[in-house]
Amino acid sequence: MAFRSALYSKLLPALSLLAFLALWQVAAGFWPPELFPTPAAVARALRELAQTGVLWSHIAVSLARFVTAYLAAVALAVPLGLFLGRNPRCRQAIDPLVQVLRPISPIAWFPLAVLWFGIGNAPAVFIIFLAAFYPVLLSTISAVIGIPPVYLKVASNFGAKPGAVFLRVIIPAAFPGIMVGLHIAVGTAWIHLVAGEMLGAQSGLGYLIVDARNFMRTDSVMAGMLVVGVLGLGINQLMRRAESWLSRRWGGVA
Amino acid sequence: MTASVKISLQAVEKRYASPRGEDVTALAPVTLDIASGEFVCLVGPSGCGKTTLINLMAGFEKSSAGTVSIDGNPVRGTDPDHVMIFQEYGLYPWRTVLGNVLFAVEAKGLKGKEALEKATEYIELVGLTKSSDSFPRQLSGGMKQRVAIARALAVEPSVLFLDEPFGALDAFTRMYLQDELLRLWQEKRPTMVFVTHDLDEAVYLGGRVVLMAPGPGRVQRVITIPLPWPRDRTGESLGKYRRELFEEFHLVHQQAAIEAEYAI
Repeated sequence: MAFRSALYSKLLPALSLLAFLALWQVAAGFWPPELFPTPAAVARALRELAQTGVLWSHIAVSLARFVTAYLAAVALAVPLGLFLGRNPRCRQAIDPLVQVLRPISPIAWFPLAVLWFGIGNAPAVFIIFLAAFYPVLLSTISAVIGIPPVYLKVASNFGAKPGAVFLRVIIPAAFPGIMVGLHIAVGTAWIHLVAGEMLGAQSGLGYLIVDARNFMRTDSVMAGMLVVGVLGLGINQLMRRAESWLSRRWGGVA
Repeated sequence: MTASVKISLQAVEKRYASPRGEDVTALAPVTLDIASGEFVCLVGPSGCGKTTLINLMAGFEKSSAGTVSIDGNPVRGTDPDHVMIFQEYGLYPWRTVLGNVLFAVEAKGLKGKEALEKATEYIELVGLTKSSDSFPRQLSGGMKQRVAIARALAVEPSVLFLDEPFGALDAFTRMYLQDELLRLWQEKRPTMVFVTHDLDEAVYLGGRVVLMAPGPGRVQRVITIPLPWPRDRTGESLGKYRRELFEEFHLVHQQAAIEAEYAI
């Protein structure tokens, strides 16, 4: 049984992938190749991009922007979230502002971002930053609010100092909730990375896609999309691994 | 033999404003002295103010009138010398058994080897040495409460407050832990204030049982049970006090039922 379920877990995804490729091949037959390239054409384009080295430099640029913006968002949103979670008055004051700013898509910030920061890395980084910032901030706030009161009662009863309460109770107690936000933010940040790079950058995977479109290289467009998808999957897996490693260290509750 | 007064309640009262703005009395004035090293059980149906009363003594709530004092000093807040044990254990899930006990010991100011020795000593006292490196999630409810008891005792408090500590446990575990608690109490002799809604538990454990009544929360009667420990759960001598308490409780219940009728 174990063998069969292991077989299915490999076989079923492989089958659906094959079916998808077959469907793609058939669908591509109805349009001219410059509008809808076949899987084989996309694979060729991908190889070409990889061999010339263009692909790798774009990937490196994209990953660097992603990591910078994501870490900056985390570094700002987590402390701010911890602070707001512990201070109901400040939270009340800031909440309406957050509620108005949050529904604005990071993409909408693009015109201003270009005006303020010019063309280059900064607008893309700014947009990824915004995309990661709100999920981390909001999940940190709700994680802190959701700390069972008994944890704090116990700490106060034993006379723990405020600094110790913060470091040894509030942060670890909020940690599983913060982790959820970090995970969500990785996804939204990666999605907005490509969008940000399509709008104003001169490099990166988003730029690669736009650039290919300008030359009507739909095969390269699709190759770029494929790379974005696969890298996104890889980042998500990495995040999941980090998460389960951390939660094991955390007593297996997260 | 007159033991010294440990906890003194003088006309302690708790009122609060309900969400509709009405003045609600959670606890009508209570006057009660608890002697040093005594085991007192507060028992009564829900709404009788027993949890409010223990929270006032432990410093988690402030009284609206009257004074609560321990060792002659008015209670102004929580104190590491007066430790509360909660029904929901309050263990930190990200810390092991040892880590949880260490938290309390280190909060008290012990460091390094000294802290470790103290924590280990009390984990052994409650018989959990083998589970020292386990996380709370891996323990049964009874074991979790033993960890909480070890954590509380490790700071060597003079008063232990217990708010329905065994309320979430099955009957067998509860009886076992009652005996464990008595053993630990007789070894360390802190003053015990034990809240429960279980009359049998109150009679079995308490040197005195404070029966409380609802609407508004108040002390109905205080029954002294001058039997030595360990007690025979099914014995005739305990049975006498049990009957007395049940009769009194029945009265409380009838009154509450009648008042509820009028309220409707």
